[in-house]
Amino acid sequence: MKSSYEVDAPVGRDAYVFEAVGLKKTFDDGSVQALRGVSFRILPGEFVAITGKSGCGKTTLLQSMGALDRPTEGSLLFYGNSIPDLPDPSRYRAMEIGFIFQAFYLLPTFTALENVQIPMFEGNLPRSERKDRALMLLKSVGMDHRLHHLPSKLSGGERQRVAIARSLANNPSVLLADEPTGNLDSENARLILELLEELHRREKMTLVMVTHDPGIARTAGRIIHMKDGRIESDGGAAASGD
Amino acid sequence: MTLFTIVTRGLIRRPVRTSLTLLGISIGIAAVVALVGISRGFSQSWVNGLKARGTDVVVSNMASSLTPKPFDASAVSRIDHLPDVAATCPILVDLMSVETAQMMMVSARAWGGFSWNNLKILAGRMPHDANEKAVVLGSTAAEMLGKKVGDPIQLDTEELTVVGIVDGNAWVENSSVILSLPVFQEITGNQGKINVIDVRVKSPVSDPQVQSLCRQIDKLIPEARAMPAGENIANSQAYRMVQAMSWGTSLLAVIVGVLGVMNTMLMTVFERTQEICVLLALGWRRSRIVRMVLWESALLGLLGGIVGVALGAVGVKILGATPAIRGLLEPDVNLGLLATSVAISIGVGIVSGLYPAWRSSRLTPSRALQG
Repeated sequence: MKSSYEVDAPVGRDAYVFEAVGLKKTFDDGSVQALRGVSFRILPGEFVAITGKSGCGKTTLLQSMGALDRPTEGSLLFYGNSIPDLPDPSRYRAMEIGFIFQAFYLLPTFTALENVQIPMFEGNLPRSERKDRALMLLKSVGMDHRLHHLPSKLSGGERQRVAIARSLANNPSVLLADEPTGNLDSENARLILELLEELHRREKMTLVMVTHDPGIARTAGRIIHMKDGRIESDGGAAASGD
Repeated sequence: MTLFTIVTRGLIRRPVRTSLTLLGISIGIAAVVALVGISRGFSQSWVNGLKARGTDVVVSNMASSLTPKPFDASAVSRIDHLPDVAATCPILVDLMSVETAQMMMVSARAWGGFSWNNLKILAGRMPHDANEKAVVLGSTAAEMLGKKVGDPIQLDTEELTVVGIVDGNAWVENSSVILSLPVFQEITGNQGKINVIDVRVKSPVSDPQVQSLCRQIDKLIPEARAMPAGENIANSQAYRMVQAMSWGTSLLAVIVGVLGVMNTMLMTVFERTQEICVLLALGWRRSRIVRMVLWESALLGLLGGIVGVALGAVGVKILGATPAIRGLLEPDVNLGLLATSVAISIGVGIVSGLYPAWRSSRLTPSRALQG
């Protein structure tokens, strides 16, 4: 999957979807250090799992990659463009990134079909096309039989399928998943993982998944293990450092 | 699905709170419609009465009371000869309790004056002469007092006879007790006094002509003021006071409405913090979030306005039928007032939504991923 940033960026460092160098993030006036100098590179089409115990900084890292939060120090690039300095972070989140959350975060008063259309408001698609695309996406995640159900009428696994369809709404180049199976039973967790793997294979999407579960992390092609705000190990194809 | 769908869904999810907020705005807007409608009706009814009598200029001293201050009837002779004056009719008018009616317009006109000419007899007759102890009742006044031709009627300490029921072609005229000037002057102890001179100008009449005539009359009758018909009531202190009170009360109602909607929208934003953060995380621009909140509050205002003008229109009818107001004025609730009230209500909604919208736009999307 091509990104608009990939097309515009200069050749060289821009070969990486993400490149982090010396990334630091502190909270509460520096008393809490969530990231303490994190460096890595991720190539287009990689499936990367970021693991580590609770509080190790993996979600903070994912938030920085998704332009939901700004790192305190260091550089974090998306196809050679500094994420904290993006002129339009909303557009980046809407068009380049698909988010999948542990708690699904579907809007409770909207049906599955409507929830999938919500990110498309920033995509300037006509109304009818938004609906057609949402239908197609829900069909692709096997939810075409639950189109008009509210989230409260769906099982956990079904809600996460709708959330995955929503993350694909604007045809992003990257999926960022924060504990996507964290709220699911083992059977549903397996099905969701299979779906994510299939998306990664079929769409050649870059997939970055945060998980604390080593078993789930093993489904990824590369595992970055974090501890106390640092990368403890990176078994990656595009390992950190030059 | 459109942004409007999202906006309406936001309101529907809390039906009780939305309904109570709507009720709050509606009552405020109903108060605006009722109070302004009544104050405008006060003026309009008076103007219509003057038009029906064919009066172009009114000479009176409205001062600060609801009825004009009396002055010497001889003042009429000072303006009779003016070249632009076609006719004059001295009047003594008062608002007084008449039998069962708490307040009723009593209009005593110089016998033979043109201000009698608009009255069409529906039943009975006109008084025989200037000194007959008789009245004619406007049709509404007759209905309010339950009188028919031949019935006695008590005015102050004097008992008169109802000799006719008339149609005066205006609310004020139809709600009045009309009698000959000398009879009423005697009843009220105002011999030789009047408080209004109706002036008819020679046609064709142009506005500058009327204004010029008013200036001439002002010089000749310094104890009163001449004004083109319609302007005199609007310039009276009493009317200004009524108008100021109605707008003041309306402003209070609007402020209460603003606070109500603002409270609701702030609650909405606080409750939906996570949802708004998710929308931001999904790429919604802050401007779209602001628009969503403002549309919600504006929609509350619109719906509140529509319900409010309906309540206000009904309320005005009810108020107009109360003994204190009935017959004194015809509430003026026209399309312009209703449209203005709805516009005010939408404005209330938008203004109330500004702070909550600003608060919502300050949220950070990373909060969506916390827990």
